[in-house]
Amino acid sequence: MSTTPPTSAPTAAPSAPAPATVTLTIDGQTVTVPKGTTILEAAKTIGTKVPHYCYHPGLSSPAMCRLCLVEVEGAPKPQPGCVTTVADNQVVRTVSDKALGNRQGVLEFYLVNHPLDCPICDMSGECDLQNYVHAEGREHGRGVEPKRVFGRDDFGGDVLFYGDRCVMCTRCVRFMSEVEKDERLTVVERGNRSVIDTFFDEGLDGTHWSGNIVDICPVGALVSKAFLHKARAWDLEHTPSVCASCSQGCNVELHTRDNVVQRVKPRENLDVNGWWMCDYGRADYEWMNEGDRIEAPLVRQADGSSKAVAWKEALGGLLARAKELQGRPVKAVVSARASNEDLGALAELVGALGGGEIVYRSPRSAEEIVLQGFPTLARRKDLAPNVKGAELLGMHRVGADDATGGLDKVRAHDGIVVVLGDALADQDERFGASAALYVYVGTQLPVAARAAHVVLPVTTHAEQEGTFTNHAGRVQRFWPALTAPGMARPAWLVLGALVGELSGEAVPRTAADAYAALAEAVPAFGGLAYPKLGARGALPMISGAAVSSGAKGA
Amino acid sequence: MSGRSKGAPFKNPGWAGNTGEFDLSEAQVRGDDFVGERPKHGGHASGAGTLPYMLADKEPEARLFEGEYQQRFEKILTRYPTKRAALLPTLGLAQEIRGHVNPETMDRVAELLELSPAYVRGVTTFYTMYNKAPVGRYLVQVCTNISCNLCGADEVLATFLRYTDTELGETSEDGNFTVIEAECLAACGFPTCVQINSRYYENVTPADVQKIVEQLKKVGD
Ligand code: SF4
Ligand code: SF4
Ligand code: FES
Repeated sequence: MSTTPPTSAPTAAPSAPAPATVTLTIDGQTVTVPKGTTILEAAKTIGTKVPHYCYHPGLSSPAMCRLCLVEVEGAPKPQPGCVTTVADNQVVRTVSDKALGNRQGVLEFYLVNHPLDCPICDMSGECDLQNYVHAEGREHGRGVEPKRVFGRDDFGGDVLFYGDRCVMCTRCVRFMSEVEKDERLTVVERGNRSVIDTFFDEGLDGTHWSGNIVDICPVGALVSKAFLHKARAWDLEHTPSVCASCSQGCNVELHTRDNVVQRVKPRENLDVNGWWMCDYGRADYEWMNEGDRIEAPLVRQADGSSKAVAWKEALGGLLARAKELQGRPVKAVVSARASNEDLGALAELVGALGGGEIVYRSPRSAEEIVLQGFPTLARRKDLAPNVKGAELLGMHRVGADDATGGLDKVRAHDGIVVVLGDALADQDERFGASAALYVYVGTQLPVAARAAHVVLPVTTHAEQEGTFTNHAGRVQRFWPALTAPGMARPAWLVLGALVGELSGEAVPRTAADAYAALAEAVPAFGGLAYPKLGARGALPMISGAAVSSGAKGA
Repeated sequence: MSGRSKGAPFKNPGWAGNTGEFDLSEAQVRGDDFVGERPKHGGHASGAGTLPYMLADKEPEARLFEGEYQQRFEKILTRYPTKRAALLPTLGLAQEIRGHVNPETMDRVAELLELSPAYVRGVTTFYTMYNKAPVGRYLVQVCTNISCNLCGADEVLATFLRYTDTELGETSEDGNFTVIEAECLAACGFPTCVQINSRYYENVTPADVQKIVEQLKKVGD
């Protein structure tokens, strides 16, 4: 791997000739890697992690932390694995007495001024200083001198800096200058007085990607204010997911404890977001924890009140009424935050009811915010994760850029009205009042669902399995991180059951089934299945034109 | 910078004397306005015009890079392939004008050289030769690194502090002196070396200090 930040996926140059390879020995194991690979990256391929601080695959390598020193036979001095490239017949030892001795020495220096305040440090449990020292450091410190003290500094944004914990790897400085390309951070002073800082009071305000420096800081020097003292690292469960805050579809992990999302971290995917994510996406998770959820299907009674009923009863009544009305034109409103499976199931339902029009509303921002040093990543204008999926299913965008308006026809429709996921925040209780059948499928109960005959509680993407199609057409999976409240179920399951009853087709039992049904019905999703998508998604094999309204495959 | 009349020629106690190898007087070697003004001749030729001097008269509020200084700044730029590369001499020039480099100066330099202010701050603070706060007319830097130290630099330093009546790193009440320790001044053959503004005083012993200080005070009047 090259040491410059990759600007495109490694797979992006299929026409290049097969690279020359080099064969060497690392810790007695023979390794063959492309020419130009560094020892550190070569070791990774056989599962050997050479300890390091300053090296990061997305940044330049200054080789300044000296932690990655390895023994190379024939070399007079230990070599930094992060910049030393492999050579044929090289013999590398990463865990020999010499290598371990080097590391122990370097680590001891790191502890000269480190406060060792692990018990109150947010990084504890996932800290590279803690891990390395625990694994390979001296059993007891020998330092008797007082440690220098910097205290902490608010860098603005979500970033808090604890100067005493910093190991001076300059990853944060290099991220800001090489990746965000807004050189806000610098090393001030030198020697043991050196400290990371901004230009006096300037701080990081106004930057859009600075949250990433918290992720890449190998120790607890840069921490997130939003996460400060919220949870211990070892109590968190990590679930792979996809950011739902714009159509870029950054791969993320939801970190949860006690069924609450505590923070969002980027997950490496060179084809989409590299190692990074934007500050908006990172901060946009509280909605997944909201408590005012619909917990049971609600059926409107003759007197206008709503009654919580069992699923069977709700769906049974709904089906009976739907069959009576079959053939009446359907008008549906969906949210572009719903998964492909959910939208596909809704399209099939509309088809099974006799067809109709499906629209979606989605907020748009005025500008794209491109990550200058990784330009394939940008916070896209579309602030919902599945606009592309909705478009591919033939759904039309209505309303303004703030996702309001555009529903006049649906509002007064006298046929069947189905709403999936749209919170209808701009609508009042008269919405859908003249509909012969109004079904509201959602997570929270808005005023505009008062007139609904049936309200069906569904899950958010954080509570279900599914896929989103990002702006480039890449289909990416996410997994359930939270337990759904009460009786809420994924929309594809609820709607799929209705479709099954109406059409007599098999009902999908899993999200994978639901996707398979979608891939079969809609060529634009074709050629893919869950196992193929893996954790990092894929582009559909047939780059299809959008299918027509109502998903006629149903 | 003002047209100050020169005092009596001042004998550098540390001047090693004419060794016979070169037929040069001390004044010729050093220039004669070493501690106060910028040399009016010699020092300005060619690239030297881009080198900063440490002047006794400092104007902390002076506007940066005007008139002659604007020309010198432009000359600096021509000597480097990129603007970034011109950062050190530009900061030096700013320090010549104001006597120190404060945040406002860093910001202005960053703007001129199209750099981020944070980067300029990082560079400025890395180098000890940029004064981050105002200093006296005479910045006395006593080398206390190994050679000088072995030859009694600590005592020289203490004596300077006594005669200038100031604390280490502080500026004397009359505004004349700031005394600091320096790391190696690259004059290890002539310990103790003391740099006062742009000039070196070599082989300084505690016994020389009083004379030097009084001489400087006279120059300052
Ligand atoms: S704050 Fe963190 S990322 Fe930045 S230099 Fe220090 S240890 Fe490295
Ligand atoms: S760029 Fe878009 S997908 Fe990526 S983190 Fe930001 S909002 Fe989320
Ligand atoms: S990772 Fe190699 S020197 Fe820091």
